[in-house]
Amino acid sequence: MRVQPLGVVLRIMGRKRRGRTAKKAGFWKRSSGWLFKLALVGLVVFAGLVIYLDAVVQEKFSGKRWAVPAKVFARPLELYAGQRLTKDDFLTELGALGYRNSESARVPGLVAVSGNRVDVHTRGFQFPEGVEPAQKVSVRFEGPQISAFSGAGDLVMARLEPLLIGGIYPAHNEDRVLIQLDQAPPYLVESLVAVEDREFFNHFGVSPKGILRAAYVNFTAGSVVQGGSTLTQQLVKNFYLTSDRSLIRKGTEAIMAVLLELHYPKEEILEAYLNEVFLGQDGQRAVHGFGLASQYYFAQPLRELQLHQVALLVGMVKGPSFYNPRRHPERSKARRDLVIQMMAEQGMISESIAQQAQARDLDVAARGRLADTNYPAFMDLIKRQLRDEYREEDLTSEGLRIFTSLDPLLQRKAERAVEGTLKRLGPAPGDVEMESAMVVTSAQTGEVLALVGGRNPQFSGFNRALDATRPIGSLIKPAIYLTALEQPQKYSLITPIDDSPITLDAEPGRTWTPQNYDRESHGLVPLHQALSRSYNQATVRLGMELGVPQVLKTVERMGVQHGWRPYPSMLLGSGAMTPLQVTDMYQTLANGGFNTPLRAIRSVLATDGEPLGRYPFAVQQRFDSATIYLMQEAMSRTMTEGTGRSAYNQISPTIRLAGKTGTTNDLRDSWFAGFSEDLLAVSWLGRDDNGQTRLTGATGALQVWAAFMREAHPVGLSPAPPESIQMAWIDVVTGLGSDPSCPDSVQVPFRTGYAPLPGPGCRPIINTEAVKEGASRVMDVIRDWLP
Amino acid sequence: MMTLRTGLLASSVLVLVGCAGSGGTVPVVDSSRAISNESLNAGAGMTPGQEQQSAPAESGVVVMIPDDAGGSRAIQSYPLDVQPSLQQRPSQDPQRSTATPSGGDSGSLQADEQLDGPVLALLTVARDQENRGDLTNASASLERAMRIAPREPQVLYRLAQVRLAQGDAAQAEQLAQRGLSYAGGRSTLQAGLWNLIAQARESQGNSAGAAEARQKARVTL
Repeated sequence: MRVQPLGVVLRIMGRKRRGRTAKKAGFWKRSSGWLFKLALVGLVVFAGLVIYLDAVVQEKFSGKRWAVPAKVFARPLELYAGQRLTKDDFLTELGALGYRNSESARVPGLVAVSGNRVDVHTRGFQFPEGVEPAQKVSVRFEGPQISAFSGAGDLVMARLEPLLIGGIYPAHNEDRVLIQLDQAPPYLVESLVAVEDREFFNHFGVSPKGILRAAYVNFTAGSVVQGGSTLTQQLVKNFYLTSDRSLIRKGTEAIMAVLLELHYPKEEILEAYLNEVFLGQDGQRAVHGFGLASQYYFAQPLRELQLHQVALLVGMVKGPSFYNPRRHPERSKARRDLVIQMMAEQGMISESIAQQAQARDLDVAARGRLADTNYPAFMDLIKRQLRDEYREEDLTSEGLRIFTSLDPLLQRKAERAVEGTLKRLGPAPGDVEMESAMVVTSAQTGEVLALVGGRNPQFSGFNRALDATRPIGSLIKPAIYLTALEQPQKYSLITPIDDSPITLDAEPGRTWTPQNYDRESHGLVPLHQALSRSYNQATVRLGMELGVPQVLKTVERMGVQHGWRPYPSMLLGSGAMTPLQVTDMYQTLANGGFNTPLRAIRSVLATDGEPLGRYPFAVQQRFDSATIYLMQEAMSRTMTEGTGRSAYNQISPTIRLAGKTGTTNDLRDSWFAGFSEDLLAVSWLGRDDNGQTRLTGATGALQVWAAFMREAHPVGLSPAPPESIQMAWIDVVTGLGSDPSCPDSVQVPFRTGYAPLPGPGCRPIINTEAVKEGASRVMDVIRDWLP
Repeated sequence: MMTLRTGLLASSVLVLVGCAGSGGTVPVVDSSRAISNESLNAGAGMTPGQEQQSAPAESGVVVMIPDDAGGSRAIQSYPLDVQPSLQQRPSQDPQRSTATPSGGDSGSLQADEQLDGPVLALLTVARDQENRGDLTNASASLERAMRIAPREPQVLYRLAQVRLAQGDAAQAEQLAQRGLSYAGGRSTLQAGLWNLIAQARESQGNSAGAAEARQKARVTL
């Protein structure tokens, strides 16, 4: 089909040439035969070249034209009444998506703010499971949540489009966001034609008139203002040819331009041009096409660009580096204004509109904002999983769309918590820089929401969240207490545990005498207190009673396959894990005893929208929900009265949280793992050389964690017990059943059927020991005051 | 599809007769009827106003079963603890504001256990997708609902149903178990979840476990 026009052209050209050759042969009778043969050979060679070039032109143009790297998206922000979202966070997200402020949100991409109300016209998006239409919605905020949501008719919820957070590129690569011609904003095609190729809609691929005009314009302007190449020639040059500037290449370019015009309509050539043109360099990534350039320079979809922005991009075609608006704003503005001027001169816009546009700022999006596609730690996690499941070339060239669970707002808060806290804490001993990592997941669904791989989150180096394997210290303890509480006939939250000195045979010939952090023993303590105060001697004694292999099995059931050997020292966390593994382990505690594989990818779509991979939510119950409830109770006491209580210096005490500190030998690693109803976060502080930090879990990692939680507005853990839990009043001193009317009685949850019977009445006598102890403490304080 | 529908119909009739021996009821708070072609285009988040008009005067659970005509009709309804949020969606005024503050102190329930606007809308979308045989997207919509209301056992119930239809009985059982852990005090829902577990165990060849689950369903009702 497509070959036919070429055949016609060749026949026409051939006839012309033959006619002319015959005439000339009359003049040169003697050499006629020779010349004719030479011309014929030339013709055949030329025809062969044309046929070859034609094949090249068609082959590349009709197939898949570009290798498009996979695009990775963050979670879309959901809007509905009751959603936990502050107005500031909402505006941050809108800013990152390139929404612009306006009086009223008339068209997609506009937002109008008045007081606590934000009107936004969403852009719409093709999600894996359906289309989200572009629509105007109104959102009201009250504190950390959306208090009212409304839209057209019965609308109860809407989604913003997801933020593009990165792509999967080979080492050196072209990147582009493919657009269709009808997605071009007003003036783009007009100004492009006006500046680059005025005769585009009239010529047949090359334009002698254009060349002449360019020569004239350049001559009168005294510099090269216009190029003589047509858009078609430019497309051919970029699309098919190398960039050497020989005459032969110029000739080939012209032939191919003509061939391209023969086969394809102007619109298709123009669309290809809009997608092909080189518009900047972003590190190792080459920015091609107006679609990506619009995102790269303005953080906005192309179709929303206004005249002054369009003119800027069109002006950059001539020299993307030379006119880079970020590096050379003045030069870039001069070029932009010239483009606008040319449009006015050619009557596309009025002089007053031109002046208005020229008065505008460049409006280029700042880099390093949320919009910047820079989430190296999270992208690393995504890529590792994808590379297990897809071929590299599919990832880098097939235009896959990958939807992830990253929450850019929480990511930003996690990064700030890490950076801010490390700055406040200062360097480790010896002026060594401290490092950090953080993982944040959705407590209920196991989705990874934020990931910080080091003190500088923009640096894509060693990803500590995934690769720093460190002893976990006391973070192991919940596994021990969980093993105990699974035996309700033997252990409850108030079972007395002996926190007195203990010596064990660690390895043959060596004994081990674990110490408490405060170097003191505390005698008999209730089980919950042994955990919340992180007493080592009580914990080791309990762990030995349960059996180390039993405890290590519990760790596996919690979700981490560790391969640890059952040494007693494992009971104090000499086994090592990565922050991500710790997250996996604590996920089961945060999630009511259900193990959920951590997930970061929600779905993978082919370029045509066909789903390639889905990563459905899956759970497996590993622990009884009543046992987990008791664990959460004990771990929430860590926060209110134990090692984690300084968190409430930063967080409202009305929010029920649960967690555990972890510190390793000689203060090398500082850990904290804790959760609310909706968020689980694990933070680690330490040194890459594994040296000392002078920090405990409480003075280091907990501070990062609390700084994050303060900003994340978590939902408190539900205090509502499951059905197999009963509450009972007990005497705090004796642990026996009591009555709410008695002094010193507290309500404690038990597994149904294992609560102590109601006591005989209130304890008649005052506990003299406790009074004595209190009195001597008072005396100590008074003694300190005396000189 | 037809056999599934017939099975649902048959088992639902059994429930009506008073024998809870077979699963398949759909304790989803939803008062919708056959979704028209226009409403198919409404997209997620849009609850067709028409639905509300078919709602019974007293809000409650209406168990829907698909009928042969492709629509669905109510076969069972009972009062339910999600009433507060439904009351804010009166049935007569289609132009009303559907904003439902969920932090309110309505009853003793956790805020996220109330089925309000978005979750209800997503369950409707999911059922629609399921009826069209699009289980993958039905699952995606239900997971979206789960992110909004992770402790809502009705969402987990629906997700378990979809998993069962997708042929993943093991996961269906686990999801139903998880639903149970959040369904304290909601006996009808518990019975439905146990019945679902029974079905899931049956298809995994565990008939003793299935019988045990059925027994539990009977006790909870």
